[in-house]
Amino acid sequence: MRLRCVAAAALALACLPEGAGAAVGHDWPGRQLTRIELEGSNGYSILISSDRKQHLLLQTTKEGFTTEYRTRDALAGPYRTKATLPGLGSISVRFHPHGPARRPPAFAGCVGPRPTVRKGVVRGAIRFVGERDYTQAVTHEAPAEIEEWKSQRCRGGANPEQDGPNLEEWTSKFSAWRPGIEFLARKYRPGALEGGSRVLYLAETAEAASEFASFVIYRRATVLAPTLTFADAHPEHTIISPPPPFAGTGTFVRTPESVFAWEGDLSIQFPGTDPLPLTGPHFELDYCLREMGCIRQRLPPGDYFQSR
Amino acid sequence: MGRLAMVGFAAAAVLIAGATAAQAKPGHRVGFDIRPANTSGSVDLGKRGDYRIGLSMPTDRVAIFYVSGSKVKGDRGGFFSNAYAVHNRRSLTRGAIRARLGSLGTISLRFRPNGRVRKRRPQQGCEGRPSITEYGRFVGRATFHGESGYLHFSLPGGAGDITRSFRLSCEEDEPFDLTRGSLRAYVAPGSFFATRGDIALLYATTHNHGRYVGITAGHQEESPPGAVVRIGILESKEAMAIGRYSFVLGPPGTLRTSLPGVHPANATLAPPAPFFGKATYREEPADARSWTGTLGINLLGLKLPLVGSRFHTRLCVLNPLKTRDGCDFFKAEPPLYGRPARLGTILR
Repeated sequence: MRLRCVAAAALALACLPEGAGAAVGHDWPGRQLTRIELEGSNGYSILISSDRKQHLLLQTTKEGFTTEYRTRDALAGPYRTKATLPGLGSISVRFHPHGPARRPPAFAGCVGPRPTVRKGVVRGAIRFVGERDYTQAVTHEAPAEIEEWKSQRCRGGANPEQDGPNLEEWTSKFSAWRPGIEFLARKYRPGALEGGSRVLYLAETAEAASEFASFVIYRRATVLAPTLTFADAHPEHTIISPPPPFAGTGTFVRTPESVFAWEGDLSIQFPGTDPLPLTGPHFELDYCLREMGCIRQRLPPGDYFQSR
Repeated sequence: MGRLAMVGFAAAAVLIAGATAAQAKPGHRVGFDIRPANTSGSVDLGKRGDYRIGLSMPTDRVAIFYVSGSKVKGDRGGFFSNAYAVHNRRSLTRGAIRARLGSLGTISLRFRPNGRVRKRRPQQGCEGRPSITEYGRFVGRATFHGESGYLHFSLPGGAGDITRSFRLSCEEDEPFDLTRGSLRAYVAPGSFFATRGDIALLYATTHNHGRYVGITAGHQEESPPGAVVRIGILESKEAMAIGRYSFVLGPPGTLRTSLPGVHPANATLAPPAPFFGKATYREEPADARSWTGTLGINLLGLKLPLVGSRFHTRLCVLNPLKTRDGCDFFKAEPPLYGRPARLGTILR
């Protein structure tokens, strides 16, 4: 269910006007989503979502890794989905409903007609081979469903697809950003995260894989870890050592020139890619203590372009 | 480069701000100031080599001759200016400027309007008649022979304007009347030394034989490696008040300091031209500080060493999480120094 929600949210956000999600009492537009669930090789789950606005999302997940392939060139009708993922595969299927439609409960925090869910199968051709064959799925039929809802009026902050704990309740956090890459570490109070962990690590990349960014690949890794992996007792010398799938250590340190540097050999290797360094001089840095404020180190203006 | 231009503009604005400040008198109504009528003007004497030169007349009886310039290389650069404030022996209200720049030159100009006039409403918060600016040329002769020969000219005047402003009643939101007729106040560093937002700040000041010298080297929170170094020199000579300023955006390595909590605190300063050499700051036991090295500066017409025991020095290195506003230059300034007290905090 969570996977479905995340995928739906991702597609929904892509269609919303900027800032709509943060508005006080906002409208969540009505939509129709087709969802196809597949099993990929090497233990990956694959979810394909498409709407009627030519957006298609293919998402692979395994443990803490998620890779999203988004295209804005899909062809979609009420029961038809057709898209090409350049160099990775194609989807051309038709939805065949089975049985009556279901009416799940209304979305929390929102007012509007209850959604409709229709289960069935898709038939046609689905072929997907991930980079360097990290996973693949080839099939002519797969279980699927179509979910449809009308426009929802949601109170401030409410989101029809929100799921899981409130991850904004951090006590301290660090982020390193450069165009296309973001690394984030957030420390929480005891009990906020599952399993006794107190630190959430996240690395995310975005890669425009076609002209005009009509096909974009997002890769994301998240992992929970104990507090000792985020040593920020001295904020001007913070050492970050996240567990696998990360490797190495990053150090956020103030230099004698009062510049905050991000050094070390911290890296991550996403499925089907080479290891990606997450430290270096071309990152914009933020370290924040909830009660005290933030230390920021901006990129020199030229770096916004050079580091692409 | 926007930052460079901004700081340069701020430096130039010191003169203008000082001029405005000179016009105010204590208010008659609670919450209001009465600003008396005033005549001000300016003359653009054009460019001579790398320098822009001109005159600013903040009041009927004060003329400030300025020389300024900037040097830019990539995203680094600097600004410099000399300002000479003298009394106008004629009346600007009558369109005349006659002044002697000590042994450096003379100014004898008369205004010839070209017919263009512009009215400006009083600034927000003020009530009164609009000011009237007449445009034209100042004709006559202006000669100048800069110290150590840095600039020579004899010019027949230049384009200029005269603004007559009328008595205004203004909301009392800013203190005024800081200059009280003192020429020095017109060319004082003032807001040039604004250091808000610096998380590392080294400064050194000295007041010797009537000459005030102040240097700051600061690194702003969030900014890339490097430091902004400013120097202001203020002195009186031959019935003139002379203010000299320079700032440079120094490259990486310009300012290095010990980190918060390190004892004894220390720093090195090695700014680019017009500075030369390097200075070392070190805190010693018993609250003493040493300021040694070879640091100096080559300003227009003045070469000065900038180290030694006569300098009063301070180093501020802050954790930005603990002090959001950065180092406060003025809070640490000794109260008895010759620079006009806390002028910058009022003008900025």
